[in-house]
Amino acid sequence: MFPIISYRRLWYTLSGVAVAVSIIGILLFGLKLGIDFTGGTMMEISFGNGVPSNEKILKVISPFDLGPVTMQPLGNSSKILRFKPVEEAERGKVFQAIAIAFDPEKKGTVNLERTEAVGPVLGEELKGKTIQALVLAILAILLYITYTFRKASRPVKSWKYGVAAIVALFHDTLIPVGLFAYLGHFAGVEIDSSIVTALLTVIGFSVHDTIVVFDRIRERLQSSKEDFTTVVNQSINQTIIRSVNTSLTAFLALLSVYIFGGTSTQNFVLAMMVGIVVGTYSSIFIASPLLVSWHKWAQKQKA
Amino acid sequence: MPALMANIFRPSGRGKTRWGIALIVVLALLSLAVVLPEQTNRVLRSLRVRSISERPFRLGLDLQGGTQLVYDADISRVPSGEHKAALAGVRDVIERRVNAFGVAEPIVQTARSGDAWRVIVELAGISDIQGAINLIGETPLLEFKEESHEKPRELTAQEKKSLEEYNAKQKQLAALILKRASSGEDFASLARQYTEDPIGTKEKGGDIGFVSNEGVGGPMVAAVIASKVKPGNLVADLVEDASGYSIVKLEELRAEAKEVRARHLLVCFVDAIACSKPISKDEARKKLEELKAKATPENFETLVKENSTEPAADKSGGDLGYFKLGQMVKPFEDAAFAQKVGTISDGVESPFGFHLIHKLDERALTEYHLARVFLKKKLSTDIVPPAEPWKYTGLTGKQLKRSAVEFDQNTNEPIVSLEFNAEGAKLFEDITRRNVGKSVAIFLDRQPISIPRVNEAISGGRAVITGRFDVKEAKLLAQRLNAGALPVPIKLEARQLIGASLGKESLDRSLLAGKVGFAIIVLFMLLYYRLPGLLASLALSLYVLLLLAIFKLWPVTLTLSGIAGVILSIGMAVDANILIFERLKEELRAGRGIDSAIIEGFRRAWTSIRDSNISSLITAGILITFTSSAVRGFALTLAIGILVSMFSAITVTRTLLRFVAPWIGKHMALWGVNTKGIANRV
Repeated sequence: MFPIISYRRLWYTLSGVAVAVSIIGILLFGLKLGIDFTGGTMMEISFGNGVPSNEKILKVISPFDLGPVTMQPLGNSSKILRFKPVEEAERGKVFQAIAIAFDPEKKGTVNLERTEAVGPVLGEELKGKTIQALVLAILAILLYITYTFRKASRPVKSWKYGVAAIVALFHDTLIPVGLFAYLGHFAGVEIDSSIVTALLTVIGFSVHDTIVVFDRIRERLQSSKEDFTTVVNQSINQTIIRSVNTSLTAFLALLSVYIFGGTSTQNFVLAMMVGIVVGTYSSIFIASPLLVSWHKWAQKQKA
Repeated sequence: MPALMANIFRPSGRGKTRWGIALIVVLALLSLAVVLPEQTNRVLRSLRVRSISERPFRLGLDLQGGTQLVYDADISRVPSGEHKAALAGVRDVIERRVNAFGVAEPIVQTARSGDAWRVIVELAGISDIQGAINLIGETPLLEFKEESHEKPRELTAQEKKSLEEYNAKQKQLAALILKRASSGEDFASLARQYTEDPIGTKEKGGDIGFVSNEGVGGPMVAAVIASKVKPGNLVADLVEDASGYSIVKLEELRAEAKEVRARHLLVCFVDAIACSKPISKDEARKKLEELKAKATPENFETLVKENSTEPAADKSGGDLGYFKLGQMVKPFEDAAFAQKVGTISDGVESPFGFHLIHKLDERALTEYHLARVFLKKKLSTDIVPPAEPWKYTGLTGKQLKRSAVEFDQNTNEPIVSLEFNAEGAKLFEDITRRNVGKSVAIFLDRQPISIPRVNEAISGGRAVITGRFDVKEAKLLAQRLNAGALPVPIKLEARQLIGASLGKESLDRSLLAGKVGFAIIVLFMLLYYRLPGLLASLALSLYVLLLLAIFKLWPVTLTLSGIAGVILSIGMAVDANILIFERLKEELRAGRGIDSAIIEGFRRAWTSIRDSNISSLITAGILITFTSSAVRGFALTLAIGILVSMFSAITVTRTLLRFVAPWIGKHMALWGVNTKGIANRV
């Protein structure tokens, strides 16, 4: 039986530091948003004499600061390049470099078909809608927990369970976002739409995890005569194996993708792995201890 | 036999479990068939059974590529400050159409370069691209416009000057050509070289055929008549009109045709075209006969003014002027040309009603066969577009929240109601306020469908379109508007195949990662939970099959991150199973027998499973309802994954456990339970 509750101040400190570091990172460095959000430049280049491979083109344009570049074949003889927003002059230079590299004798086989400033894939409207929806979802979860945990209202009112779960949720979301703020600043990692998906997944499952622990607490409260702190500690201990196992299976699945899946999904998978680890940690070490702390504080107020 | 029937339709507990197993096997086989059609077909063919369709999975743009459509947006009527917003509106509406469920994973983005305002749509796969193009093409264009009294702007001094210079040059050139033609140069070749005739007579050496003295030919014919030029010769001077300068040659004259001038009295009846005072056909006929009896050439005009139902007949006296063959409806024409001058015809029936025709004159119609060399003048309308009566207000389909068919309270006619969002409601209020007493126009697909008069400012953002709809038309319109209406018109400019940005290698790696991940999870479950772990792995396999089958059938487009998401969900699907097994172990440790342990285990685990999954489902549900495109797609796949995993854990795992329990119940070690110290068995 691990005395988890007894050490709760330790866990709060750890989490507090992690969250503080994340927030500082976000405020200082901001989030490096990818072209899915900011829009960028699109160039269509036709190659009359055979289309060169992506690697070859990448080598030619690597001296330019274009951020991550995606390339796709278009039709039979063209390629589309997409990269971050760049000035007209710079675009011209990029094309020149490509033309010189693949048409050194100036036979006119390499042509710039068009170049455009493209808008974001995920529009402003979507961002607004998503944030609104998430706020709504948080409220709905609060209400749901308050309702289903009404039988556990003694000694801690059921809505407090909801609040504790939501606090854990914010904790679980801020830390991966903070991580990406640092990664963005130091390693140039950009946030694209898949990272957003990862964060949404974390949000979706953070509360899931927390509720399993709360469910056990609720059950034990009904049958046990012991004081709240002890009940919570016992409940956590009983569910710890299950929490760890579940997260372990998810983590192993993701680890396999991280190792075997190739570079393009690594950031996305990293976000989810961090989210899952932090989510499990918060369900065990933050959400339930919070209930105890709140309870004790409320008792002190009464006295 | 009855016992068998009883066993099938009202099975015992054990029987129910057997049914469950059968169902699971069937479900597994069906899903397998959907997910791996090629292998399935191999088996089916060897059994001489019909094979099934081998549709592949829909892979995303990053893995397989697809089609790129480029749409050009016409923002010419939008004031320059709002161009960006209009283009973004087009993007949003197109995406909503193309990605209604959010799982199609298209890329829809605005693209700007110089004067071009475009939206680029990239869709995965190439199979039903035409469907998507049609869908986009059917997007209605809804615009609200108000009266515009703006005159087209004045030409700048610079523009005026360049216009005058241009025209002066043209005149000089024309004079030169005239001189050359007059001095004997071949007219036809001059025409071929210089004419700017819009009607394409260049190839014919300037020949514009027979013209009469009305319309385009008017000034030329007038010049020909005035100069009394003989056939085969040139008109000595340049003929100038508003549109340009012409060097005119008269090829020949023709005076075969006739022109007739007549006055007519019209009495229309119920079925006649545009009849304003309909009476029955017989009554009309009678009336006409009465009038015919009274009519004389002298009183005809008065009679017409008093009795003719032709609009404005009271002023014109029914005088039609000179007309030639082919201008009037046949019955009228036949009668008018046949009768003698000065006579009044008997009643003539035409689609317009009954006529009495008084033929006033007939004369030969001279037609002139001309050829010309035409040099265009530059007009101010070439530089500044002409003023339109309606102008852009900013209220378009973009702000439309909802549209529905309703029935007018008074007339019971079907009308289409429009409800605007907050921004639209405000705009609408402003527009109606500043146009009280004036008209506003509702344009659909560039045609005005309704031009109501504004009586007062309307707040609340609701409007109706009244028009001559029938119920079917109204329903269709409301449907189209609800699916998204464009703020500006668009045109499909280009359509090309676009290749994958990542390609086969990435797909292969992801699949490998998935297989490895699955294997690791199964291994873990076996080691830690032993027999239940094995059963859970079976349930998990079914979960994967079901999930993939659903994704294939919907279809959900799988991008690389989508695949990673599926792999993650496999890891999480085990969760419910673990909850159940932990409970099961507790019950067994507490000394319960295997059967009741299973029941208790499931019962107690259920509340956990229910509450934790419901919270995730609530999040998913809210995201699905309130967002769109990629976020909605994510929420949808999340919800599907949760529901299928709940099903697989609760139904499949339980059935498998109960099926297996009687045989293995006694061997606690297989359940992962340490039997030391267990008290009585219940």
